[in-house]
Amino acid sequence: MIKIENIVKQFNNLKAVNDVSLEIKKGEIVCLIGPSGSGKSTVLRCINGLEKPESGHIYVNDQLLDEKDSENYKKLRGLMGFVFQHFNLFPNMTVLENLTLAPIQVMKKSKEEAEQIACQYLERVGLLDKKNEYPNKLSGGQKQRVAIARSLCMSPEIMLFDEPTSALDPEMVIEVLEVMQELANEGMTMVVVTHEMGFARTVANRVIFLEDGKIVEENNAEEFFKHPKTQRAQDFLNKVMH
Amino acid sequence: MFTAFWDILTIDNLIYLFKGAMVSLSMAALSLFIGLIFGILGASAKISKNRLLRILGNIYVEVIRGTPMLLQIMLIFNVVPIIVTQITGEVFRMNYFLIGVVAMSINSGAYTTELIRSGINGIDKGQWEACETLGLSRWQTMRLVILPQAFKRIVPPLISEFITLIKDSSLVSIIGLVELLNSAKVLGNQYYEFMSPYCLAGVYYLVMTLTISYIAKKIERKLAVSD
Ligand SMILES: Nc1ncnc2c1ncn2[C@@H]1O[C@H](COP(=O)(O)OP(=O)(O)OP(=O)(O)O)[C@@H](O)[C@H]1O
Ligand SMILES: [Mg+2]
Repeated sequence: MIKIENIVKQFNNLKAVNDVSLEIKKGEIVCLIGPSGSGKSTVLRCINGLEKPESGHIYVNDQLLDEKDSENYKKLRGLMGFVFQHFNLFPNMTVLENLTLAPIQVMKKSKEEAEQIACQYLERVGLLDKKNEYPNKLSGGQKQRVAIARSLCMSPEIMLFDEPTSALDPEMVIEVLEVMQELANEGMTMVVVTHEMGFARTVANRVIFLEDGKIVEENNAEEFFKHPKTQRAQDFLNKVMH
Repeated sequence: MFTAFWDILTIDNLIYLFKGAMVSLSMAALSLFIGLIFGILGASAKISKNRLLRILGNIYVEVIRGTPMLLQIMLIFNVVPIIVTQITGEVFRMNYFLIGVVAMSINSGAYTTELIRSGINGIDKGQWEACETLGLSRWQTMRLVILPQAFKRIVPPLISEFITLIKDSSLVSIIGLVELLNSAKVLGNQYYEFMSPYCLAGVYYLVMTLTISYIAKKIERKLAVSD
């Protein structure tokens, strides 16, 4: 479903992503983990075009993600939803308006249809009663659930999450993880950058461990957590699990 | 001197100064409005992806902000008639008010460009990114998400700009427009006494500027509440 070949992304003189290749199959849930600054976010942002790699190729559904082919580029990016660490809800709009903006403007849906779909997703994340609130009236966990619902309104086939729970108070982490767990159960293809090792362990099919912009270890979640092969992965797990 | 003051303080003279004040005020208001349009264009140029537009936007802002407004007024006073004559083929009948508005709009537009640009830049980059991932175009993002948020940041300094324009409109007196300052001068010439009419003009300026800053404070409070 997604294939990355040898991507390199440089900031000034720093290679944030240094020759990374990976493949994500339909329905798979992959967690990207690694220490701070290892390039997890940058890999994720390259996948959907928020960052443009200096070299390498990205394929979505076997088609090259290429900015120059602008029609196809838009279409392929439209297959991917993105959830940010800091939610990035639109503070000047109500929850419902946040959800219907893109369906109306981009998919040219009617207001009624967009609202109906939005309400379905709000119901699913348990926030239908908040539809007329402004984001500043919501807790962090609620904001993130709205942000997830907003992405889902564009009917993505792949969801990319960049540390969706890192900005949350501990007691709100669980409500967001539950929504993600549910998405996973429904067969959504997901790539998740996370520090939640519990989530990675139970929900992910595969774990990719990055350090200094390179993939250091890649394995199915079970194996990775039980028997990390590399010393660096062992050190990292020791640090974060205890 | 004090007798002179009471001589000058007649209803007629007050009305005369009031008319001058209205010229200043309407010139400032028109220039603020037209300057706002220039500012929107200038800011769009400065943040556009097109390098040439960015350069043009920069030149506009830097040239206007780096030269005296008085010089700009004098220049336009000399240039506008030539251009109008070129276009219409008729001799341009000097309209001081129009020249004042043109000069002040161009001047104000440069400052407004910067106001709008920094208002837009002050919006979190995450807002752009969220729109990008949702498939909105740059223009849709600007119009539906960024500008409505930037607006709140732009309005208060825009009102300060209005106050500046009211004060700076006095510079247009140099080309002979009878606005508030020149009205005072006319009275001074009439009575051979300048201090009283200039003080009166000062009071008129103060009434205008203080009223506007009072309204500005109210608006600011309102905008802050809805945050
Ligand atoms: N826009 C940018 N400009 C300059 N440097 C950047 C930029 N984005 C990321 N970097 C640098 O690239 C490296 C990788 O960053 P990235 O955000 O991908 O790491 P990360 O693994 O997501 O870390 P974290 O867990 O802290 O989010 C870091 O050294 C970071 O400082
Ligand atoms: Mg990150």
